[in-house]
Amino acid sequence: MKKILRNSCLALCIFALALGLGVLAHAQTAATPAAPAAAPAPVAATPADAELKDAAGKAPATADLAKGDPGGSFTGTINDVPAADPKAGVTIPDVANQVGQNKIAVNFVWTLVCGFLVMFMQAGFAMVESGLCRVKNANHTYMMNFFVYTCGLFAYWLVGFAIQMGGAAGNSNLGGLQPLASEHTLSLFGKTWGLFGQSGYLLAGHSYDVGVMVIFLFEMVFMDTALTIVTGACAERWKFATFAVSSVIMGALTYPLFGNWAWGAGWLSQLGSNAGLGKGYCDFAGSGVVHAVGGITALAVSMIVGPRIGKFNRDGSANPIIGHDISAVLIGCFILAFGWFGFNPGSTLGASANGNLRIGTIAVDTMLAGCTGTLGAILYMWMLKGKPDASMSGNGLLAGLVAITAPSGFVSAPNSCIIGLIAGVLVCVSVSFIENVLKVDDPVGAISVHGAGGLWGVLSVGLFADGTSNYGGSWNGVTGSVTGLFYGDASQLAAQLIGISTLIGFVFTLSFVINLVLEYFMGQRVSAETELAGLDIPEMGQLGYPEFVFRPEPAYSGD
Amino acid sequence: MAANKQQGSYFGLFLVGATVLCSGFAYYDSGTGKALLGLGALGIVGSMLGYMGIKPLEGMTAMKPGSGGMKLVGAAVAILGWLLTLAGIHITDSAGGRIIFALLGIAVSLVGILYILPAAFNKNALWKGEAASQRTGMTAAKTTMEHSR
Repeated sequence: MKKILRNSCLALCIFALALGLGVLAHAQTAATPAAPAAAPAPVAATPADAELKDAAGKAPATADLAKGDPGGSFTGTINDVPAADPKAGVTIPDVANQVGQNKIAVNFVWTLVCGFLVMFMQAGFAMVESGLCRVKNANHTYMMNFFVYTCGLFAYWLVGFAIQMGGAAGNSNLGGLQPLASEHTLSLFGKTWGLFGQSGYLLAGHSYDVGVMVIFLFEMVFMDTALTIVTGACAERWKFATFAVSSVIMGALTYPLFGNWAWGAGWLSQLGSNAGLGKGYCDFAGSGVVHAVGGITALAVSMIVGPRIGKFNRDGSANPIIGHDISAVLIGCFILAFGWFGFNPGSTLGASANGNLRIGTIAVDTMLAGCTGTLGAILYMWMLKGKPDASMSGNGLLAGLVAITAPSGFVSAPNSCIIGLIAGVLVCVSVSFIENVLKVDDPVGAISVHGAGGLWGVLSVGLFADGTSNYGGSWNGVTGSVTGLFYGDASQLAAQLIGISTLIGFVFTLSFVINLVLEYFMGQRVSAETELAGLDIPEMGQLGYPEFVFRPEPAYSGD
Repeated sequence: MAANKQQGSYFGLFLVGATVLCSGFAYYDSGTGKALLGLGALGIVGSMLGYMGIKPLEGMTAMKPGSGGMKLVGAAVAILGWLLTLAGIHITDSAGGRIIFALLGIAVSLVGILYILPAAFNKNALWKGEAASQRTGMTAAKTTMEHSR
């Protein structure tokens, strides 16, 4: 009977998959591009056209180029500009089109390369989280970090991207993104507020577009960063099957929804234009959208999963459970810091035009906040606990980076140092509070690094934004630069606080309820027997380090 | 019993269900879209019921049931704080007033998350049991050593 049931399920799966693929094939057919617009009518030759012809005549001939160009002086001339009418030669419209395409090309390459850097951060997260866990759970922790990439990507491709960015048309850095022009809205108090996007499902139909693909890749790796935060907080006791389903739902719904509200023309970004609150909720690279969403979801899930066996004593005091590989932790932190140069500067979504030359400032702000975050944590631990704790130093670096993520596009270098320093101290205080007061077990400190650090980052925009940035003259549709309380705009602080309230009140509750439902149906936690044995064999079927042998040092003889 | 074939099968069914469901969303305007939506939802519900069926076979966890009602109260208070913040946007036009409402909302949400929920989860926490934590803690340490060797 069971076999029949299983076979039926399998048949249903195959049938459903075939249907899904059929729909996709239909979508691909429907996406056949329209015929290109007719070529512009020829214009009368102007003096400028004559100059262009002259320049073409003076450009190095093919025979000259065949001799080689070691100095790079002749490669790339007017002859490399494609002419609409080869007989007429290169004209002013040809040059203008090429300039426009070069701008978009530079921005595409910039955004894609930064996205690749952010993708590499997954490796850093895997090393940090696994290094902070015990050796008996290493394979399980690495596998969660590995598989979350697949779960998140699949869910985001299916529906998450459409919810988050389906109404995000209008970004001139990436060519306008016009296929993403459908936002579901709600009219309230005489204003229209964006709720979620509705185009871009499965990247099919009109979203089969070069610009859409670039923004998909970039936003997807951000989403995956948020998902992988939860695996750290719930490590060493989270059932693999439940983790997988929970991650799919987070990538499909929880993250994209808040992402839409902040970045996809949703209601938080409209707080400026609709309610007169500064430039609306501003989160340059995702302290709130990515890190706080991840950290707050991590808090919700780790409450449900419960503490590891042996973490707390009967009197409520906590036992330290030491990770197995501090070298992996610190190397992982460096990989993350490297990837952050994609995370923050890449969030300009371009390097050319619209004030995007600020990428240098953003990169330096990122670097400095990481530095002062590390200093804050090391000094705190060294002065109060007596040792420059390695794992907390790593967390300090990450907290500084997390905190500067939202303000990196809007603040000066000295302010980024202050933001990072506060984050470094905050993470130490928060780790202690979560463990000793809440009695929530977070093996890697993810809730503190990403949750507390992320919220501080969102708040710091409302305090430290100095009003000097100029991303095309407006932000979130409001003319002017983002300016915080210390530089004269209290209303920006109000917008940031509304964002924080949404993260704490809405995102936490949504994550909590979803995972409570999963707890009911699937169970979130492995059995006590599995937990004690270590999750590697029961959950993954293989030890992370099968030949790991503990050899005690011989006694010191003094000879 | 930990990870097993049934879990894998139900996860596969969940993914297929999600794919079909999302195809349904994408083409909701058509009849095929609505049919796919229903079919996908069935697949997801089927996978959840499947997981529920094998849940009792997976052994006892190191958790005792907390106070279910308190958990829901905690979540409700958290969302109430957010609603208070939203109300503030409409009630007052001044930036200062909205900051105060947002701070109030955050405070209310934090009461739900940092006070009510931990109390609900820790009410019957395993580590509060009679020396259980110390016993299991020692066992855990022993198991680590065994694995190491």
